[in-house]
Amino acid sequence: MRVTADRELCVGSGACEMLAPDVFEVSDDGVVHVLQDRPDDEESVRQAAQQCPTRALTVTD
Amino acid sequence: MSVEAPIPPAEVDLATVDLSDREWWVRPPAERHAALDRLRAERPFAFFAEPEIPGIPSGPGYHAVTRYADLEAISSQPAVFCSGKGAVSMQDVPAELHEFYGSLISMDDPRHAKIRRIVSKTFTPRMLERTLDSVRTIVDDVLARARATAEANDGVIDVVADIAAPIPLRVICDMMGVPEADRPGVLANSNIILSGGDPELIENDDPLTAFLTAGMEMAALMERLAGERLADPRDDLTTALVRSEVDGERLSHQEIASFFILLLVAGNETTRNAISQGLLALSEWPQERARWAADPSLDRTGVEEVVRWVSPVTWMRRTATQDGEVGGHRFTAGEKFLLFYNAANRDPEVFADPQRFDVGRDPNPHVGFGSKGPHFCLGAHLARRELQVTFRAIFDQLPDLEVTGPPHRLASSFVNGLKRLPARLGGTR
Repeated sequence: MRVTADRELCVGSGACEMLAPDVFEVSDDGVVHVLQDRPDDEESVRQAAQQCPTRALTVTD
Repeated sequence: MSVEAPIPPAEVDLATVDLSDREWWVRPPAERHAALDRLRAERPFAFFAEPEIPGIPSGPGYHAVTRYADLEAISSQPAVFCSGKGAVSMQDVPAELHEFYGSLISMDDPRHAKIRRIVSKTFTPRMLERTLDSVRTIVDDVLARARATAEANDGVIDVVADIAAPIPLRVICDMMGVPEADRPGVLANSNIILSGGDPELIENDDPLTAFLTAGMEMAALMERLAGERLADPRDDLTTALVRSEVDGERLSHQEIASFFILLLVAGNETTRNAISQGLLALSEWPQERARWAADPSLDRTGVEEVVRWVSPVTWMRRTATQDGEVGGHRFTAGEKFLLFYNAANRDPEVFADPQRFDVGRDPNPHVGFGSKGPHFCLGAHLARRELQVTFRAIFDQLPDLEVTGPPHRLASSFVNGLKRLPARLGGTR
């Protein structure tokens, strides 16, 4: 599994950081930073992508 | 227990329902939800005229969006349904109020996103983890004072003034760097700004003047703090607002003032009403209270259910930028939509047994913090943290808290608020 973030769409809501803190971090510029682009915890990452308010995360298998 | 679990009335006459009438919103929740249920089932884009407010011109009216799926469809298409015409008022905002209330909540991307990102890091779970101890300290102190108030007052307290208001006020003022001496003024002005025109909070039945005066006082506070922070930066949100640059420029005076007011007001009122009406719900559902109190592992789902149940912000507005169709409703550019989060949060298409208060509800995809889209509540993680700490501390430190009622409801369509909620500590005498 691979996850990418669209930093234009992201408003730094932190929904992903709450669900998968090892994979996502909102950085000092207020936009998400992907810490592991091939994450282990696939279920949390899928939930994060689904719950992102601006649909800024894309998961590909 | 003097407060009974709500039983929805069997019949409600939609001809008597006017969502623009602030007095309709003080009716019992069961009656309001019965009406919203019928609107959702029978007239999912019901049209209402805008209320008459002295000094503020009325527009063409709005559609009340009550189905979860329609609300999400509108919220997730910000280019088609914009916020820039005003998100927090049925009327378009008069120019003189824009100075104080034209904040990023009523702004569209790309400017909205750029300004929001200045503070978004501060409100992330990681950053808030660091403030957890200070939230606990504030909550413990507020509950100890509530206990002392009860002891001096025959056991009687007001849940709103003694518990629900001071906790979020102190948390957000700490984050903003507002000095102790200015906080009573912040609370008073915040109450006026989100009064919805409730006559108890508005002098001389003149809401326009009241909103302007409250805005000017908050802006004056911001001016003073901004001057101090420019000279002497600190690790607080006010410093971030005055020193940050967007596209190589500092924010305008209007942007800083309205953002400052938004953070203080939104940080105050919503969490307050979730605490007070969460406690009211727990008094109406004593088995749920006992279940949650006994099991800290329910803190997460319990708080989400409080936010679903209360829906502290009743609606936000969107305005169509073009012609189109949503949920079977054809619309033209300029049409207004009010997204009724409280109705979507009880949509039986999404929530099993939606009129049941269930502190273990999971999943709970409520829209109490807003639905999909760029305007999702900035303070959601902060609110969750404050609420989890507060309810757990109340279970531990005020197990004898008994809501005696009745709740005094704010006459506002916009904020689901309580002005007072009588309660006792120490058992009946």
